[in-house]
Amino acid sequence: MTLKDLNLSESAEITKVGGTGALRQHFLDMGLIPGSEVTLIKYAPLGDPAELSVHGYELTLRLDDMAKIDIIPKEGSEKAQPSKKAVSATAHPGLGEGGKFHPKGSGNPLPDDTTLTFALVGNQNSGKTTLFNQLTGSNQHVGNFPGVTVDRKDGVIKGHPNTLVTDLPGIYSMSPYSSEEIVSRSFVMDEKPCGIINIVDATNIERNLYLTMQLLEMDIPMVVALNMMDEVRGNGGTIDINALELALGVPVVPISAAKNQGIDELIEHAIHVAHYRETPLKHDFCDESDNGGAVHRCRHAIYHLIEDHAAVAGIPPHFAASKVIEGDKLVIDQLKLDINELETIDHIVLQMETEGGLDRSAAIADMRYSFIFKICRESVKKPGKSKESLRSERMDSILTGKWTAIPFFALIMLLISFLTFNVIGGTLQNLLAAGIDALTETVDAALTRGNVSPILHGLVIDGIFAGVGSVLSFLPIIVTLFFFLSLLEDSGYIARVAFFMDKLLRKVGLSGRSIVPMLIGFGCTVPAVMSTRTLPSERDRKMTILLTPFMSCAAKMPIYAFFVDAFFEGHKALIFAGLYALGIIVSILVALLFRGTLFKGEAVPFVMELPNYRMPSAGNVGRLLWEKAKDFLQRAFTIILLATIVIWLLQGFDFRFNAVSDAKDSMLATVAGFLVPLMKPAGLGDWKICTSLLTGFMAKESVVSTLEVLYVQGIQNALSVKTALSFLVFSLLYTPCVAAIASIKRELGHKWAVGVVLWQCFVAWLFAVIVHLITILF
Amino acid sequence: MNVPDIIVMTVLAITIGLAIFGAIRNRKKGCGCGCGGSCSGCGLSENCKDKK
Repeated sequence: MTLKDLNLSESAEITKVGGTGALRQHFLDMGLIPGSEVTLIKYAPLGDPAELSVHGYELTLRLDDMAKIDIIPKEGSEKAQPSKKAVSATAHPGLGEGGKFHPKGSGNPLPDDTTLTFALVGNQNSGKTTLFNQLTGSNQHVGNFPGVTVDRKDGVIKGHPNTLVTDLPGIYSMSPYSSEEIVSRSFVMDEKPCGIINIVDATNIERNLYLTMQLLEMDIPMVVALNMMDEVRGNGGTIDINALELALGVPVVPISAAKNQGIDELIEHAIHVAHYRETPLKHDFCDESDNGGAVHRCRHAIYHLIEDHAAVAGIPPHFAASKVIEGDKLVIDQLKLDINELETIDHIVLQMETEGGLDRSAAIADMRYSFIFKICRESVKKPGKSKESLRSERMDSILTGKWTAIPFFALIMLLISFLTFNVIGGTLQNLLAAGIDALTETVDAALTRGNVSPILHGLVIDGIFAGVGSVLSFLPIIVTLFFFLSLLEDSGYIARVAFFMDKLLRKVGLSGRSIVPMLIGFGCTVPAVMSTRTLPSERDRKMTILLTPFMSCAAKMPIYAFFVDAFFEGHKALIFAGLYALGIIVSILVALLFRGTLFKGEAVPFVMELPNYRMPSAGNVGRLLWEKAKDFLQRAFTIILLATIVIWLLQGFDFRFNAVSDAKDSMLATVAGFLVPLMKPAGLGDWKICTSLLTGFMAKESVVSTLEVLYVQGIQNALSVKTALSFLVFSLLYTPCVAAIASIKRELGHKWAVGVVLWQCFVAWLFAVIVHLITILF
Repeated sequence: MNVPDIIVMTVLAITIGLAIFGAIRNRKKGCGCGCGGSCSGCGLSENCKDKK
């Protein structure tokens, strides 16, 4: 029987984990090991994937992957195990404390002027970035879905100028599965920080300690920060910190990063262990009694065999031994073992598999989890089901319910659109626009009174005020949209969307995880492209990056609103919804095309943790909104203002710098003229239109300011409704702005970046031509 | 050229100067993550700040 055959709410014991390669290793790392109990919680609304509970946390798996895991059904469902030992009288070991672990002033300290570098390492969604912000006083964005941090970030610990802490992307183990995990693993292995701050989610301690085991093998001074202890205690649980510290051989500090509790003590311990180079006391987690000692004998035999190679390669030998047994190719290659040694290793591993009954990867995972369960039995009193977990269950009964998930998703999206464009954003936009108009009139009157020369008057009023003012008035809408996207992200809802959209996305060759970059793409393409790093396969990453720019970003909203006001006054909702829908439809068509050509094959398996819902933090949301507003204002008063002035000048003068009476004779008309024949089939063969689209490459908002400057008599008097429709479709689909192209270049290289520009211009042109032909027919 | 012209031109020159300075500063500081130089917000790029 396989996991796929398990009925809802039933539990089973895993007997064998199938599959191959990195995916199988990932299953094992996530705790799906022989002997573990697993409960089927629910299926996604479309019947695939499913949500499972293992080791007290929720995990999603596709049915095809569940079929690779053999099980034996168990009676009853998994319940939190009450501890036999609530609080022990274990004496405080005092690791990482001067005067306790070693006499004050003794030890092997680094020179006082050494900059102490720390790596902040932990599972995804364990609170690393929250802790990083507390440690450094910085304002990095924090989210509530796995994989918010996709790149390393550095900062100095507050009050300790000689320190540098690096926040790394969350990882489940030191086996590289996705590119973000490679970032973290490479940092720890290659840059050799003075210390590691390992953040462990105390509410999900078993799975989190799995990574801790591997970090201990790295033999780098380390402190375990036991985060979310407030939640554990609040739900009736407790952890014997002294016993845990003794078992792990490194200082363990209980903290609550969100409430800023225990941070000072954590810093003190981290600095101490790094300064005095106090490496973990324990690197060896095999037990002579486990599986008849097969793993123990194998691990030690290989340890001695590769010790010299590990020293030369600069890899900690205990870590290297475990990785060699697991068959980690990267480590094996780095060790440069000769053929005899490789053959000997194969024989030793084979012997272990025969004696222990588990294959090489499963045996090592089993060794680690056996150690973890042993120390958790001794030191952890598990809390009952937490308030957060119960609340999440209640919310999920609706938000991921079979019949309610997709209607609620549609409702939430509609509500966000309604509130953004009509109620909140729209109202504020009208107020701001009225303020800008009043200011423009005042300045206009003042310039008239002062008898300022017509050229200067025109530049200020028709150029700067009209151009920048028209863009500026969209600030409230953009900030409101980011506000709602931030709420979705911080609450944990986006992870659920990925869960129930997986089956649909698989039909176009993507995994549910691709929905996260795409939703972020409705805000801005740049962070959306960056967030594709959480996708574990190159194929999925590339495909998602190429599709994300088709999602209509917030910077395009001013274009839509500008045209809607001019041409489609009574049909605002229809035009906006139509454009957003068209972006999605085109991305689906392009995905289907890619699936059959450039990116053949299947999407990667959907293995994802579903975090509990949390109340978004006002500070976090506020910071994000401030950053977005600041960014928008900066662009309005720098690049857009300059572009406006340049456009105004170019359309007012010819190449001899004589003022022209008709803009057709201007420099701009000549320069943009070469695009006119190309754009004619789409009904956009006007040099003013071509110019505005060109400026949109710098920043999409510039399209509006350029049109405002060039069509002094009002765009509604110059263009037809048909041209407006064609223009909107072209603007929706054509090349993303230069910032987005730069991020695509960084992720995929310059060839892909150039390819995206050309490809999207072609797609946009094609659809604009189609729209133009349809409008001509009707 | 009258006095108001000179005043308007001076204000324009300062505005344009600041805009150019701002654009160059953003470009220099900017990491390409779209934050326009105010990198502490999203932190999505490795070039954001203090990259060693």
